[in-house]
Amino acid sequence: MLKYIIKRALWIIPTLLGVLIILFSLTYLMPGDPASAMLGPRATPELVAELNQRMHLDRSMPVRLGYYLTGVIKGDLGTSVWSGHKVRSLLAEALPHTALLAITSLGVAALIGILLGAFAAVRRDSPIGGCVTIASLLGVAVPDFVAALLLMLLFCVWIPILPALGAGAPGDPLDIALHLILPATALGIGWVGYLARLTRESMIDVLDSDYIRTAKAFAVPGKIIAYRYALKNAVIPSITVIGLGVGKLLGGAVFVEIIFSRPGLGKLIVDAVYARDFPVVQGGILVATVLFVLANLIADISYAFVDPRIQYD
Amino acid sequence: MNTDTAEPIEAGLDPSQLMFKRKWADTLRVTFRAVVKVKGGLWGGIFISVMLICAIGAQWISPSDPNAQDIMHRFAGPSLDNFFGTDYLGRDIFSRIIYGCRIAVLVAFSTVSISSIVGVFLGVVSGYNEGSKLDYFVIWLFDIVRSFPQIILALAIVAVLGPSLVNVVVALAFTAFPFYGRIARAQTLSVKEADYVKAAEAMGLQPIKIILRHITPNIMAPVIVCLGMDMATMIVWESGLSFLGLGVRPPTASWGIMLRNGYKYIQTSEWMIIWPALAIALAMIAFSLFSEGLRVALDPKERER
Repeated sequence: MLKYIIKRALWIIPTLLGVLIILFSLTYLMPGDPASAMLGPRATPELVAELNQRMHLDRSMPVRLGYYLTGVIKGDLGTSVWSGHKVRSLLAEALPHTALLAITSLGVAALIGILLGAFAAVRRDSPIGGCVTIASLLGVAVPDFVAALLLMLLFCVWIPILPALGAGAPGDPLDIALHLILPATALGIGWVGYLARLTRESMIDVLDSDYIRTAKAFAVPGKIIAYRYALKNAVIPSITVIGLGVGKLLGGAVFVEIIFSRPGLGKLIVDAVYARDFPVVQGGILVATVLFVLANLIADISYAFVDPRIQYD
Repeated sequence: MNTDTAEPIEAGLDPSQLMFKRKWADTLRVTFRAVVKVKGGLWGGIFISVMLICAIGAQWISPSDPNAQDIMHRFAGPSLDNFFGTDYLGRDIFSRIIYGCRIAVLVAFSTVSISSIVGVFLGVVSGYNEGSKLDYFVIWLFDIVRSFPQIILALAIVAVLGPSLVNVVVALAFTAFPFYGRIARAQTLSVKEADYVKAAEAMGLQPIKIILRHITPNIMAPVIVCLGMDMATMIVWESGLSFLGLGVRPPTASWGIMLRNGYKYIQTSEWMIIWPALAIALAMIAFSLFSEGLRVALDPKERER
């Protein structure tokens, strides 16, 4: 298994290299001259020349790729064309907001979803099962950005009890928490139903398996069978899904942050796209991608630990 | 979807050609029949048909021109003249929802067909040449594109190419093809060891013919299941990109653009958000019920239940 983990971890290097090449070539695909596209139609030739020199745009493509790669490896993601700030410090400011949002929504959703699913599987004939089906259908039907709009309409316009915009005053936990409720709900609501359904299906399969029957024959109490023996194996599909889900979550955060005007990673990227501030776009996407790649790595490795029955070659 | 080989071969036809035709027809017929039998699948199919009718016949179904402005009656609530009310330019929301079906259906079908054709082709070719340099290159390519959070990559591509319907389709198809490729490759690895493929190889059939006639038709079941769900995702992302102003250009009626306008007037005119949100929700339910039906129909284990 160690061989598998090392192989899996090393595979990240060529993958990330490819990611960097794609991010680099995106500037190449941009129609027209990148410098004037970034500075707008009224830029003077001197300004354009200066930007070209600063971003090494006057060099040949392989040289530029080399500059870009060495810069990224050194941790230098360039400077914003608009504000002149280091992209790295902009990202450092934005990332905590997104991390808080993502961890809260996914954590709460996983807890509720998995327990709901397990409960629905144990009490197969109770109305909980129906609730799970409806919840998962709702989760599919209302994508996160639509959910965000509807929640905003409901709790900020019709019944104005929750704050609509911003991330709350820094250093005020209550204010931050209040500002977190709606975005986190919008982002996590789809996951509750999805994870509940997934857990219920795999839990039903697990509860029908031989080792559970054996445990029943040994008169192990039902609750212990369900929540200690069965749930452990029934959670496995959810773990992989959560790993993949980090990508979806980061994508959903883009919309939710725009709608609720939270100064996170997603808003940083989209605002930079509007402003044609390409170093910031590149840096933001790179960070989001690295986070996603790491999440998948962790999910794959923990999968191997949680289910020792899986064989790797 | 197993083909009964006991049937006599019709005269004048190349046997392998005949088998190829039978398989595709079989797949479609069996699939459709089984999907309709699943309770949700039927409802999903009906919803999707309604969407398709709206998309094709939008100019006859919608009561008024989706872009006709009536400034005097802007922000009007639902009435007999405008079933769903009017937006900030006095345009009829009901008509715009119906025209929005057109963009949704167009984007869903074109992105999914492009990405599945490209992905399945690459996946089958690389799976058939397992262990070759080409195989490793394709896996690498798949893994690179899959490393990006999908919608963020699509956003970046549209930002570079400029917002338009075609660019949205290109961007979304580019982010989705590796998923089909991975499925197709994994399936190919198991199918290519089958006796009928070995037999075709022994007969000296060209690799491209083996791939097209013997492998591809037999790996399609999981791909088709993926298609249904992916269409729903593509509709959401198209409206998402349009919502951000990076998708279809206004004044084209797209559900995403309608939500964008609704967001601006959220305090005064809730109808501008509710109707497009409802349209998206219905489309999502339709496609997920249908793809759930597909999954059950194409999974032999489920069909027995």
